[in-house]
Amino acid sequence: MSGESVSTGRKRPRRSGRFLPYILLSPLVLFIGALALYPTIVTTVQAFFTVNPLDPPTRFAGLANFRALWHNPFVRESAANTVLYIIVGVGLSTLFGLGMALVLQRRSHWRGVILALIVLPWALPAVVEAVIWGWIYDPTFGVLNSVLKSLGIINGYHVWIGIGRVVSIVLIELVQVWQITPLAALLILAALQSIPQELYEAARVDGAGRWEMFRRITLPLVRPGLAVAMVESLILSLNVFDQVYVLNGFAPGGASIMLQTYQISFNNLNFGQGYALSLLATFATMLLSLLILAVVYRRVEF
Amino acid sequence: MRRTRSPIREHGRGAWLLALVALVLLVVVAAACGSSNSGGTSPSASASAAVGVLPSPTPGSSITVVYHYPAPPKSLLSQFTAQTGVKVNWVEVGWDNLQTKIAAAASSNTYFADLTDVDWSKVGQYYKTGWFTQLNPYFDASSLKSDMPQIDTFQANGQLLAMPFDASYTVTTLNTKLFKAAGQSATPATVTDYTNALNALKSKGVVANPLDIPFAAAEGLSTYWYQTTAAFGGQVLDTSYNPLFTSPSSAGYKAMQWMVNAYKTGLVPKANIGVSDYQGFTSEMAQGRVASVFSDYSGTVASVYDVPSSSKVVGQVQYIPTPGTGSGTVPNLANPDGIGIPKTAKNVAGALAFIKWFTNTQNQAIWGGLNGPSDVISGFPLPARVSSLQLLAQSGKVAGSQELLTLLKTSRAQFPGPGAPPWYAQFSNSVYTNIHQAAAGSQTVQQAVTNIANQVNQLKAS
Repeated sequence: MSGESVSTGRKRPRRSGRFLPYILLSPLVLFIGALALYPTIVTTVQAFFTVNPLDPPTRFAGLANFRALWHNPFVRESAANTVLYIIVGVGLSTLFGLGMALVLQRRSHWRGVILALIVLPWALPAVVEAVIWGWIYDPTFGVLNSVLKSLGIINGYHVWIGIGRVVSIVLIELVQVWQITPLAALLILAALQSIPQELYEAARVDGAGRWEMFRRITLPLVRPGLAVAMVESLILSLNVFDQVYVLNGFAPGGASIMLQTYQISFNNLNFGQGYALSLLATFATMLLSLLILAVVYRRVEF
Repeated sequence: MRRTRSPIREHGRGAWLLALVALVLLVVVAAACGSSNSGGTSPSASASAAVGVLPSPTPGSSITVVYHYPAPPKSLLSQFTAQTGVKVNWVEVGWDNLQTKIAAAASSNTYFADLTDVDWSKVGQYYKTGWFTQLNPYFDASSLKSDMPQIDTFQANGQLLAMPFDASYTVTTLNTKLFKAAGQSATPATVTDYTNALNALKSKGVVANPLDIPFAAAEGLSTYWYQTTAAFGGQVLDTSYNPLFTSPSSAGYKAMQWMVNAYKTGLVPKANIGVSDYQGFTSEMAQGRVASVFSDYSGTVASVYDVPSSSKVVGQVQYIPTPGTGSGTVPNLANPDGIGIPKTAKNVAGALAFIKWFTNTQNQAIWGGLNGPSDVISGFPLPARVSSLQLLAQSGKVAGSQELLTLLKTSRAQFPGPGAPPWYAQFSNSVYTNIHQAAAGSQTVQQAVTNIANQVNQLKAS
């Protein structure tokens, strides 16, 4: 036995083995680089160019694309609509997700089945869900009208989507809430299950009620899970497209910023402005995500 | 003292190596993605000696056709392969999705298909972008015009960018059974007669909302307005693309007012604010919930209303000459699809041979129903050729063939003269969003026409 091996107490890794982690990681790095990093760099650069097959050649435009977007009333309207989509989407999915997680936290024989069932909307394609909800909202034979009428809430059948802006947006976003709430519930449930039971037992000994325990133990300690769920809902609400397109077409009253990006890029062929709007949406996502993390997220250690 | 290698330095070197490898691979991938198709046009395809002489396709080669209609029957595609040696891969993609794919592939100079859709509304755009191969060296538009009345739609400044895939035009349809139930036996000849008849259907309770206008913010609403404008005796843009609809006495203004009034007075179902054109045909007209479509599409009687499995009005709907405001004939506006060759196509000779085969008189009649339902291309509106439609009319196999043949001969391009402007997509977007908003009550007709006119002037200036 050599002295060196005695002093270190471990085998020196073979030269080829040192590179193994990098070799294993490289396909993923390449994948992310090709599908995320490279398009992001291209988008960022091209946002400052006029890229329009109807107005060749491609040329540097400075901030002209951003100025044009600012002066475009449809872009401004879709940005305002998207704010509403975010408020409804993040608010409701977090609220419902928390409620579902609290229910699912209780041990029950049916928990596995219930978990499988609530995940179903998350697993369905957004277009399919929008078509299903389109039938529910249908003004002629939709379930919503018939239920509300049989309950005496409305006198006659209503047109729900396309007439009023706020109602249209809320109802469209409800479809997305239905889809994303299961994921929010699972994220929050994971955080809930990491809270030590001893904390609740100690609180109970001290005479705390259910509400007190929820307010002073559950809510503060579930904040990391809430933050992640809210960021996930934010990203999906800000990028809402399928539900809007299927339920409301290109009507400006419900158009989202992603629908507008599609219109500008592929309908108007103004790719430069499309890149610029995508870039702005990316920045908005990043800023709002950081804001949620700053306000909601707290490091929790047990 | 022997220097030991710091683990941090080791990681640093590894990371650098990894970054270098990733960068090299990224550049390779990017270069591969961005490279143009070197296969491009085959030499034989670009060297056609005379108009109408097509280059010989290479036996054993294949072409990819990406279209928004289902493929023709396999047995017939096999006949093409037997004649030319060219195998056909047909990929069906929805219309909206297809337009996005065409734009994405062409703008990145990437191969996408050897043949694909050229919608009438995109001709101006494709002329300006140069994304499609000119077909003038292979097909003589002027000599084909008498048999293919809508071929002009696919020309811009003399360049033929596609051959008609079908013929299609907007046309009025009405449910004769429902009209007769309201005592309206005579075919309405004017817009006033037509409106009165619809009011009679409503007041007598035959149908609660007798008229279908698809008010969803989509292309179908724009074309409905163009046809209604033609019925009121005008057109929306002149040959220099100036707006002709801003004056309240203009046909375009009156047409929009008539459409919005029809919605507000209940002639049109309230649900139609979110109904697109084909939704209106299938869920309203085919179910007998409405009695007429003022701007329907040619071919819907056979392909939608007379299909027993999905229609409750089989044998009740017929085409009528579109009612107008004067004594003259109202033109029915062309709405066809074309089939063209993207500049990045790999097998141009094969693609040209397929166009010739697909658009010949016999096959066009077969796609429309000459051999019976088994050989029909589902949803195919109407043969592109008058001679094919004559074959169908003689066979008596397709409802309304004779009426459609008469109307096809007098159908007119949506934008006579220069064709659809390059900025048609923005124009149409402005049209349908503004009419939609006027019907929804968030603006007046006056505001809608002003907004559309402002958009036109802005587009012209840009």
